[in-house]
Amino acid sequence: MKKTIITVAVAIAALSPHIAFAAEGQAEEQGSWLVLTFFAINFVLFAFLMKRFAVPMGRQFLVDRSATIRAGLSRAQSALAEAEQLAGKASAKIAAIEAETKALAAELDEETAFQVRRVGEAAASAAERIRRDAELTAGAISEAASRRVRERLAGTAANLAHDLISKQFRSDDQGRLLDGFMDQLGSEARR
Amino acid sequence: MKGSRVAKRYARALLELAEKGQEEKWGGELDRLAAAIETPGLLERLASPELSVQSRQDAMTKIAERLGLSFPLRSFGVVLARHGRIAEIGAIAESYRAQVDEMLGRARATLTFAVKPSDAEVARVASGLEAIARKKIIPTVKVDSGLLGGVTAELGGKIYDGSLATRLAEARRRLAG
Repeated sequence: MKKTIITVAVAIAALSPHIAFAAEGQAEEQGSWLVLTFFAINFVLFAFLMKRFAVPMGRQFLVDRSATIRAGLSRAQSALAEAEQLAGKASAKIAAIEAETKALAAELDEETAFQVRRVGEAAASAAERIRRDAELTAGAISEAASRRVRERLAGTAANLAHDLISKQFRSDDQGRLLDGFMDQLGSEARR
Repeated sequence: MKGSRVAKRYARALLELAEKGQEEKWGGELDRLAAAIETPGLLERLASPELSVQSRQDAMTKIAERLGLSFPLRSFGVVLARHGRIAEIGAIAESYRAQVDEMLGRARATLTFAVKPSDAEVARVASGLEAIARKKIIPTVKVDSGLLGGVTAELGGKIYDGSLATRLAEARRRLAG
């Protein structure tokens, strides 16, 4: 309190030099005690008024300001802690993501290798099947063509034979055929 | 199948009525009657349900008289007309022939030659078939130039094939593989 009063008095003295100069001038003219008393009362009133109104307001301002600063600081600390926590979490998450990415990459590599193997095996199997089918088809086509050729040759030969027989068949040929037929009947009869 | 059984029954009845030695004669008359009735158009009219039984019998009597059939065959025709069996007459005649053949120990064979055969050739083939059937063979001769050469014989549903056409077909089949 005393410090405050002294501080205020010094401040007033410093801020109001013309009063002191006026008092000095008047002291030279009318005497210095009166002036001093006036100044003292004046100062006491001033100090009282200051203490009564300005100090509580200033104190309240400073208390509020201090509270505000403390609250701000507290919030800032809290925000810092929260930020640090979030940063920690983010770091952990990043680490987890990196680990997961690595695991996924490894899994993907493994899966790719497996798929490549499987596709390769399937392709080899399909190629083998196609080769077998092609062989079978080629064989069948060849066999069918061969059969068609044989049938055509046989048909041509039969037609030629038919024409020859039609043109050159004689009664003794019929006799020989009849002999053969009788042999056939004889064999049948002997059974 | 039902018609076949009916035909056999009628044929057997007629054969049982025939006196000994009359079977062939009745058979010939039955064949003539069947051939006359199976003339295109006549059989349909006689078998038509629109025709009364009496009209059918009258028509059958007239046909039989015109063909100069004996009394038993005329009566048999009337019986067929009365019982609505006119449509079966062809099968009855065939069955009658078969039963007479069976009774007399005969068999019928169809001989098909590539060229017209001589009597000696027909007799030769018939004798060969008799050795198989162990029955007297009554041959029916046909000529089919499609055989190219040789002969075929059908006896009791079995075919003996000695034709060139068949040999040629077999050769063609063997060649074709």
